[in-house]
Amino acid sequence: MSPIKGHADRGRSKDAPAPFTSRALEWLWQYLRDDPQPHILDCGPVFQSTLNILLRRGSKIHVGDMLTPLPPDNPTFWAREGKKPVFLTNEFLKTIPPVPVGSLTIIFGWHLLDLVPHEALEALVERLSSFLRPGGVLYCMLREPHLPTGAEIYWWMESLTVLGSTADTKRPFPYPAVTNREVERLVPGGNVKTFLTRTGRREVLGIK
Amino acid sequence: MWWEKKARTEAPPNPEPVPAPKPTPTVETPMPEPIAKPPAPPAPGPQQTFLGRSVAVRGQFSGNENLLIEGQVEGTITLEDNTVTVGTNGQVKAEVHARQVIVLGAVTGNISAQEKVEIRRSGHVVGDILSGAVAIEEGAYFKGSIEIVREGEHEAARSAAASNALETRP
Repeated sequence: MSPIKGHADRGRSKDAPAPFTSRALEWLWQYLRDDPQPHILDCGPVFQSTLNILLRRGSKIHVGDMLTPLPPDNPTFWAREGKKPVFLTNEFLKTIPPVPVGSLTIIFGWHLLDLVPHEALEALVERLSSFLRPGGVLYCMLREPHLPTGAEIYWWMESLTVLGSTADTKRPFPYPAVTNREVERLVPGGNVKTFLTRTGRREVLGIK
Repeated sequence: MWWEKKARTEAPPNPEPVPAPKPTPTVETPMPEPIAKPPAPPAPGPQQTFLGRSVAVRGQFSGNENLLIEGQVEGTITLEDNTVTVGTNGQVKAEVHARQVIVLGAVTGNISAQEKVEIRRSGHVVGDILSGAVAIEEGAYFKGSIEIVREGEHEAARSAAASNALETRP
């Protein structure tokens, strides 16, 4: 269970990266400028600041933290009877909150694709995409291959276009970096926009 | 008669729930680590129905006064012009329709409030919220959806949400 996080949970310290203006979010809100009530799924963990900002934008928000229960040692999602542990994709997909099919404008996945085993990515992106309406956008933050750690970093909105984050932890990313080509293959239609940041991460928008 | 008139003074209609006064610590001793104070449950007011901790009820609630729940409720709560407060011990598995909803305990079910929904630090809500305003305190747990509706749009949004709920997963 993951509670709503606020300033006290942010862990902002001198090690925390400074908030930065997200070019992906600038593009996104410009793209949605005529939509008075975007329907949004935040894959969590959910920050009070993000909620308030999205509600002020007039959004309808679905909230369900899929990231917090993802550490590789969580027995809920792993079968360890065989020689090699098997990720229980269907169990993980049950953590997605119930959302009407084809209803969402945006899904904020944050680091979700970096934290799920590669063999489960296809089913996950397919399920998430089914919730998007045509033209809907899957927003993800993906680490660059040269960034080995920071799997526990969490992001929140300081404004519609400015992102803040927790301090970069030393926990390594559990799986190899997801390449742009993989994202293009995963997103239906392959319409993907990538924005580079100075934090060793890419912001990726998959447009349905 | 003047004394008869005086005896007829009435209590104000639908008073807001009054939070209980916090107990004043009598002995000041340094603590080894900080202990979070549990939020004080609102005390039942003069025009407020109180369901105590030992009460478990199932069915449809409707009426015209505020409701404070510390027990267990299953079903539907419809108090369109009043405040429903789910106290720290309250466990509600119900659709809640009210003017204002304050959650300090646990609610599983959709909440619809004309004015405001507040989920306090100790609150735990799984369900969809449709309200004029929403305040979720840091530390509260929420899973579901939030939709802000303007005054006058409430009924239309409620029926739309009910029809949307029929089609969820692929």
